[in-house]
Amino acid sequence: MIRLDAVVKQFDGKRRVVALNDVSVSITRGEMVSIVGPSGSGKSTLLNLIGCLDRPSSGEVSIDGRRLSGLDDDELTRVRRDTIGFVFQFFNLLPTLTALENVALPLHLRGWSRHRARERATELLGVVGLAQRVHHLPEELSGGERQRVAIARALSVYPPVLLGDEPTGNLDSRTGEDILALLTDLHARLGTTIVIVTHDMRVAQSCGRTIAMRDGQVVGDVRR
Amino acid sequence: MILLRLISWPYVRKHAGRALLTVAGIAIGVAVFVAMRAANDAVFGAFTQTVSRLAGATELQVTAGFSGFDEAVLERVQAMPEVAVASPVIEAVGATGLPGQGNVLILGIDMTGDRSLREYDLESGDAAVLDDPLVFLAQPDSLMITAEFARRNGLRTNDRLPLDTVDGRKEFVVRGVLGASGLSGAFGGNLAIMDIYAAQHVFGRGRRFDRIDLALTPGVALDAGRQALQQALGPGFQVQTPSARGQSFESLLRIYRLMLRFSSLFALVIALFMIYNAFATAVTQRRAEIGILRALGATRGQVGLLFVVESAVAGCLGSAVGVALGYALAGGVARLIGTLLEGIQGVGQGQAEVTPTPWLVGVALALGTLTSVLAAALPAREAARVDPIKALQRGRLQVLGAGENRARTLVAAGLGALGAALFVGTTSLPAFYVGYLCLLLAALLLTPWLSVALVRLLRPALVWLRPTEGMLAADSLIGAPRRTSATVSALMLAIALVVGLAGIGRASHGQITEWAESALNPDFFVTGSPTLTGRDYRLPEAMTGELAKVEGVAIVQRMRQPRVAYRNSLVLLMATDVESVGRTARRTVLEGEAADMYRRVAAGEAAIVSENFAAGFGVHAGDVVELAAPTGMLRLPVAGVVREYSDTQGALIVDLALYRKHWHDDTVDLFRVYVSPGAVPEEVRGRILTRFADQRRLFVLSSHQVRAYVGRMADQWFSVTWVQIAVATLVAVLGIASSLTVTIADRRREFGVLQAIGGLRRQVRAAIWMEAATLAVVCLVLGLVLGALHLYFVLQISYRDYPGLRFDYAYPSLVALAVCPVMLAAAVAAAIGPAESAVRGSLVEALEYE
Ligand SMILES: Nc1ncnc2c1ncn2[C@@H]1O[C@H](COP(=O)(O)OP(=O)(O)OP(=O)(O)O)[C@@H](O)[C@H]1O
Ligand SMILES: [Mg+2]
Repeated sequence: MIRLDAVVKQFDGKRRVVALNDVSVSITRGEMVSIVGPSGSGKSTLLNLIGCLDRPSSGEVSIDGRRLSGLDDDELTRVRRDTIGFVFQFFNLLPTLTALENVALPLHLRGWSRHRARERATELLGVVGLAQRVHHLPEELSGGERQRVAIARALSVYPPVLLGDEPTGNLDSRTGEDILALLTDLHARLGTTIVIVTHDMRVAQSCGRTIAMRDGQVVGDVRR
Repeated sequence: MILLRLISWPYVRKHAGRALLTVAGIAIGVAVFVAMRAANDAVFGAFTQTVSRLAGATELQVTAGFSGFDEAVLERVQAMPEVAVASPVIEAVGATGLPGQGNVLILGIDMTGDRSLREYDLESGDAAVLDDPLVFLAQPDSLMITAEFARRNGLRTNDRLPLDTVDGRKEFVVRGVLGASGLSGAFGGNLAIMDIYAAQHVFGRGRRFDRIDLALTPGVALDAGRQALQQALGPGFQVQTPSARGQSFESLLRIYRLMLRFSSLFALVIALFMIYNAFATAVTQRRAEIGILRALGATRGQVGLLFVVESAVAGCLGSAVGVALGYALAGGVARLIGTLLEGIQGVGQGQAEVTPTPWLVGVALALGTLTSVLAAALPAREAARVDPIKALQRGRLQVLGAGENRARTLVAAGLGALGAALFVGTTSLPAFYVGYLCLLLAALLLTPWLSVALVRLLRPALVWLRPTEGMLAADSLIGAPRRTSATVSALMLAIALVVGLAGIGRASHGQITEWAESALNPDFFVTGSPTLTGRDYRLPEAMTGELAKVEGVAIVQRMRQPRVAYRNSLVLLMATDVESVGRTARRTVLEGEAADMYRRVAAGEAAIVSENFAAGFGVHAGDVVELAAPTGMLRLPVAGVVREYSDTQGALIVDLALYRKHWHDDTVDLFRVYVSPGAVPEEVRGRILTRFADQRRLFVLSSHQVRAYVGRMADQWFSVTWVQIAVATLVAVLGIASSLTVTIADRRREFGVLQAIGGLRRQVRAAIWMEAATLAVVCLVLGLVLGALHLYFVLQISYRDYPGLRFDYAYPSLVALAVCPVMLAAAVAAAIGPAESAVRGSLVEALEYE
């Protein structure tokens, strides 16, 4: 499903930083993977590459057997929008749109009719337990509720892959657990491939596989 | 202030483009201000210098408006013990026969007395001319010219110089060339001196002088001397210092100065909005940072102060750039004003030097900085009120609070009601201005609400156009009205201003044309000057009969139109054959009854005043006006008010016989000639020209030519208006460009999210463009509607205040239509750059962008 071959990512800023150094990982369909590691070890960078948000300096990323290096930016966007859903640590909801509109947005971007998009969005908000909050603006929601809206948004197009960069990092442990339960439930019900970056060991352990990183390299890969 | 270095400087560096725009806003405002003022000062400074150069050692000048007076007055003045020297002057614009040289100012003086008033340092020439004035006198074709003029035309002493006189073109002889000092600097050297008696002939003045220049007996105080002279001569004469007289002459140009001042203030107001916009965005954007500062122990005062100091620095920098830019532009503006002045005076001033004065530089710097601080005050207060806890939660955006919204609406409603009440309910001028200000404020307060309502209306159209992108664009505008309210307000004002200016331009142009058709309806105007307003060459009374005898001429109406003193102004006195004019001219009568009015004025019992005279001096039918005539005060009841645009200061129409009786002046400025039915106008014109060929300097202007001239004068007038429209449009374009740049750059994260969740580049791009275009449409709709109100207000002012003209309301639809594509194009063009950088930049960075 997702393959990284000898991927290197370096940032040429004032000082050259090698964020990923020769990383090769392969994730199969339907896996639920957590990525752990100390701060600055390259977890986010790895996730951004998988999510087609960024391109590697060298090496190859392929998704469903498709090599990404040959694609132009618009084709990359198409791969992203057909395959991947994102959940961010800081939610990244559009502040001017209601929960429902935020969730329906990816559907609109894919040209769904207004009616169908709203129907699906309402259904998904129900799935994440926010049926009562559909017309609220993000700032009228709590952190956990916002993250659930973000998850609903990521799921709205039933992407085969769901990526989360510390999706529970900004939430208290109770709410974090709720979100995690939601994710595992979705994983079980929809068979979505899930990759999450986390600092929380309990979150990591509830995933079927844990990849550990240090200094831009994979230092451990455990399957349970 | 350490905070400034630690907090503000890095922000400025990171958002260099935005900081630049802020500074540019102030710079443009200050530049327009400085350019207008510097040009104004330069032109009028040159004017004052000319006045003082021409005055020499003259302490006081005696005039009777522009009408002139009998020679006998000179003896009365000279006989007074307070007066040491008194010398008569005729000052008029003469036409040289030299190709490409046009007009020169001719000073007719009496060499005998004048040398103690003015210095004539001869560069070359017969010294005897000066040593023995009789030599100059004995040769009435003598002329002195300036070195500059001599050089330009390759003239030397004893060369011949053709000059138009009222009796046709004559050859004059250069008897002396004036050196570079003193007098000869005036009017860029376009100056010639001749004997006063020769000047009387050249300009057809009869035995009259324009003015007496005098110096007082040593020991007599200026004021005492002035009073003694005024006493002796009576109220019909003005006794003034040369500079005071220069000032009253300058006041004829009051309207230009008014308009220039208005433009410069307007530019600053727009700058105010641009800066407000930049700071408001900065505060929203830096909420997290402010939150951290507050959490770390910074007080509200410190945070507020931080922004105020930032704005002061930006203001200082912007003002400095603006001052430099302004002075660079001032030359061009000075040329424009110079041309306008030349049209009025008849002689070019020469290029006015624009030199920076510490005073203007200081004022501009202070004003720019103050504007900047003022604009930042509100955002700074908001910054100070930032709640640290809320600010530190990411992803929050300030939305218009419901309570604040209600308060706004309430205040707006209150102001609106008050404004409307003052607007219609009172006749007092200050109340009227306050009322308008209230309405304007109400409109500004309602802007966010109105723009949201408008976007809601537009939403279906946008969605129909591009379902996804249209929806995104509309919802983003609906969701954050605050983000755009400053832009919309500023642009709304700018567009309203354009509508107002264009509207008054259109209305006045239309009405002036209509007036020209009805009041200037004779077949020909026979004058001594090539224009209707020129009064330098006067025609003799004897011509009346001669003209009437020309075959095909049916009616001849005489007209003499000097400026006379009324209260503290110089108004136009139109002395004419009223009985006959009453039968031919079709001026619109605003007060009084036409037949009765013309009858009373023809009988010499009353006067008719122009509309702007009536409004300017608050005089109406039935009131009495007191005119200063050389024979004493003349009290005349006002028989009626007519539409008459001959003069911006106001005009009075009286009968010629009455004028001659009181002013002892039987010259004529122009004859209005109607041809008999059946006669061919062109043939009659030819006969008039042949009849007086070689006898008179004569211009026979057809009504068509005269109307074209009036049209040109009006156009010149409105060239200032057009410049203002251009400035307003430019500012509007810059305004929308700058604020779009700022707001789009600000929302990188939002656009990053859009792309991360599957938005294609072209979708995001289209959404941004549509948002920009929608914003422009909102500005246009609000601006054009506010413009309708503003136009009403401007028309009311021009009637109630200055210049006292009543124009009919006509919306300038053409200009309004033209503004639309300009604004739309500007908005979309401004969005292109930021939109590209929003979709092309790194997504990872965009998602982390704050
Ligand atoms: N845009 C960038 N420019 C320069 N260096 C960067 C950039 N993004 C990341 N880095 C560097 O790359 C390295 C890996 O960063 P990354 O964000 O992947 O770490 P992380 O494992 O996600 O850390 P954390 O747990 O703190 O989120 C870090 O050393 C970081 O400084
Ligand atoms: Mg990270």
